Amino acid sequence: MLTERYVTVALDVPLPQCFDYLLLQGEVAVGERVVVPFGRQTLSGVVLAVHGETPQVAKLRAVESIPGDMPALPSDVIALCRFCADYYAYPIGAVFAAAIPGAFRQAQPWPGFEAAMAYVAPDVEALLAALSPRAHKQRALALQLAQPLAVEAIRAVAGDAMRWVRDWQESGLVVQTRQSAVALQCAPSASPALNDEQAAAVAAVNAAQGYSPMLLYGITGSGKTEVYLQAIAATRAAGHQALVLVPEINLTPQLEARFRARFPGEHIVSLHSGLADGERVRGWLAAGEGRAGIVLGTRLAVFTPLPRLGLVVVDEEHDPSYRQAEGFRYSARDAAVYRARLRDVPVLLGSATPSLESWRNAQEGRYRLLTLRQRAVSGAMPPKIELVPIQRARMVDGFSEYVLAAMRSTLAASGQVLVFINRRGYAPVLSCHECGWISSCKHCSAKLVLHLAERRLRCHHCGYDIRVPLACPDCGNHDLKPLGHGTQRVEAVLAELFPDANVLRIDRDSTRRRGALGEMLRQVHAGEADILVGTQMMAKGHDFPGLQLVVVLNADTGLFSVDFRAEERLFAQLLQVAGRAGRAGKPGRVLIQSMYAEHPFYHALVAGDYAEFADAQLTERRSLALPPYAAWAVLRAEAKQLASALDFLREAASLLAGYPVHVATPVPAAMARKAGWERAHAVISADARPPLQAALRLLAAHYAEAAPRGVRWALDVDPQEF
Amino acid sequence: MLTRNRVLLGGTLIELAPLRYTPAGIAVQQLVISHESQQVECGTERRVLAQVKAIAIGDKAAPLSHLVIGQQLVVKGFLAATSQRYPDRLALHIDEYELLN
Repeated sequence: MLTERYVTVALDVPLPQCFDYLLLQGEVAVGERVVVPFGRQTLSGVVLAVHGETPQVAKLRAVESIPGDMPALPSDVIALCRFCADYYAYPIGAVFAAAIPGAFRQAQPWPGFEAAMAYVAPDVEALLAALSPRAHKQRALALQLAQPLAVEAIRAVAGDAMRWVRDWQESGLVVQTRQSAVALQCAPSASPALNDEQAAAVAAVNAAQGYSPMLLYGITGSGKTEVYLQAIAATRAAGHQALVLVPEINLTPQLEARFRARFPGEHIVSLHSGLADGERVRGWLAAGEGRAGIVLGTRLAVFTPLPRLGLVVVDEEHDPSYRQAEGFRYSARDAAVYRARLRDVPVLLGSATPSLESWRNAQEGRYRLLTLRQRAVSGAMPPKIELVPIQRARMVDGFSEYVLAAMRSTLAASGQVLVFINRRGYAPVLSCHECGWISSCKHCSAKLVLHLAERRLRCHHCGYDIRVPLACPDCGNHDLKPLGHGTQRVEAVLAELFPDANVLRIDRDSTRRRGALGEMLRQVHAGEADILVGTQMMAKGHDFPGLQLVVVLNADTGLFSVDFRAEERLFAQLLQVAGRAGRAGKPGRVLIQSMYAEHPFYHALVAGDYAEFADAQLTERRSLALPPYAAWAVLRAEAKQLASALDFLREAASLLAGYPVHVATPVPAAMARKAGWERAHAVISADARPPLQAALRLLAAHYAEAAPRGVRWALDVDPQEF
Repeated sequence: MLTRNRVLLGGTLIELAPLRYTPAGIAVQQLVISHESQQVECGTERRVLAQVKAIAIGDKAAPLSHLVIGQQLVVKGFLAATSQRYPDRLALHIDEYELLN
């Protein structure tokens, strides 16, 4: 008797469950993909089980096709996806869809499939026997096919070579195979000598056995990257793969260059959302087939299959960009730690300003703390941070005289200056001084930002974009004035104040063109730019040896937030940007202009002691039962009317009555209106994780079945922003 | 009558700001005119001295920006507050002018 076979498939639909299909023909393994009918659509999904048990569904449909282009996801990636679906109460199919390259989410087979394959002759003698003795090139190729040969290599033999191989394949003399792991003999190029602290950190990582989480807490410029490089060299020497996560796509090319210089001949794959689909698939396959020794990537790389994973590194582990802000709101840092646990390998989290979550784990002994207190370049001193009170100071276009004098003397000594202002555009708002009108977005509770060069007003939240009005829409006054400073205005002001200096603005607008950022960074390194004006893009990771002075404008905006994480983030950001100064031996100086120079926050910052700040914050969080001392989730709702959003949240809260969780009163979001939707949220908290998870599962299941009308909702577990 | 707002003023240019442009690209020229004259008040003649802030927005702005300090001129226009916060601080918005010397 022929037993029926069934597959359980995770489909990218907004439902928490998986779906069963009948498998009529063909072979498919767990972790591969199948194309199935779903309603009137045809969808691709990942197979989570192949079984013979008749599913209890009314109308069982059959698998349409098995593309066979995606190698089976290994069990740890499947386990990681399952964990994330559960932890973040997000539909499992959507989690798998996020974990694999876009090409493998299509119903069509990946067109680049063939090029990624290799060919091999199982019996070279038989192949040779079938060839004419005078077909020298064919015979040469046949000999090479004793080992699996990639398509590129085959094409290199002769223009016609792929046609021969296809003919041989039809006669069964050659078979298609996946490219096999090539054990690369990779000797790292000479590495700089380590100081004692770095050496101790590398030794600790190398000695780690199995799952061992480590927090590398090192001040800016203390050479954390060098610790990663040497730990990875040891991992590679043992024949294992290393997964390195970085927060910003902007930082990958730079870091990649540094890795390539250190590991010449190594197959290094970089994975980030800026890659073309084909490029990403090829990198992903190289990692999954064990050909790539080092995978460098942004948060999505945490799901990359790595058969010989030996070390996980998360650089700048505190960075908010590890957290996906929309849709599947996961933390790649947390996923990386879980992945390391699944694979029983060491994981190294590095930062100058660790997240309070990781700091607590280190303090309580769950993570091993490795500390770097000195700058790596001998003689390089941590930058000196000074506050410049501006309440009563005479200001020249947003700059205090004191700051301008410091800039003049730095430039005179041919040092570079970075002016940091976390606000792009010319001015954050356009206003009419006569009647008080200000440029507001039609769709958001936000102001329209003036982009002077293009004469546009733009909403940075919804993309609403209009021409600058000729006159005030309310009173008709033509003399509308920009209010406040953005990067473009700072650039213009500095060009006027320092006519001999070369001012370079680096923000999202000036680097939109492909390759623009690389060119600008080259100019900075070559010393062609004297003054850099930059947003948070400039705060992270960059290493500019000539930079001696950092000026911070507008830091105060982060001080008075309703968000309990605001100070933690501001501290991290200011310390990061301060760390750009004085990295190459010359002393660095940091000036922070502030209206509130007496604020206790700045005292901690000037002291530059993150450990002290973090301990104080943790004490405060503990006493207020805030994360990380409580498990939090936020239920977010958006509707055309605020009342509908709030009603939905109240109803959800009533569903959770009886659960050992606390649901706070629903309130409008800090940004109450965005892109035409009124936003509100309710915080759901619990003393422990399991009851919170249970409550979230209930909500997710309930609203997947009975979708609320006219309300968009989302669960945000471990919310990072309010 | 409530909507009437017309000023005719003669005097000497004593301050001229650099020509600037609004974010929409309209030229703006701010200037100060010193006025000195004899006027009859309460039946007797008296001397009048005043310094008046004036502004020209649009096509009159650029020609005004070429004037030199000391230029005598007559301007016509309307009064408006310079900001909502200080409604008693006024500026004369020039829509016509005539050069004298």
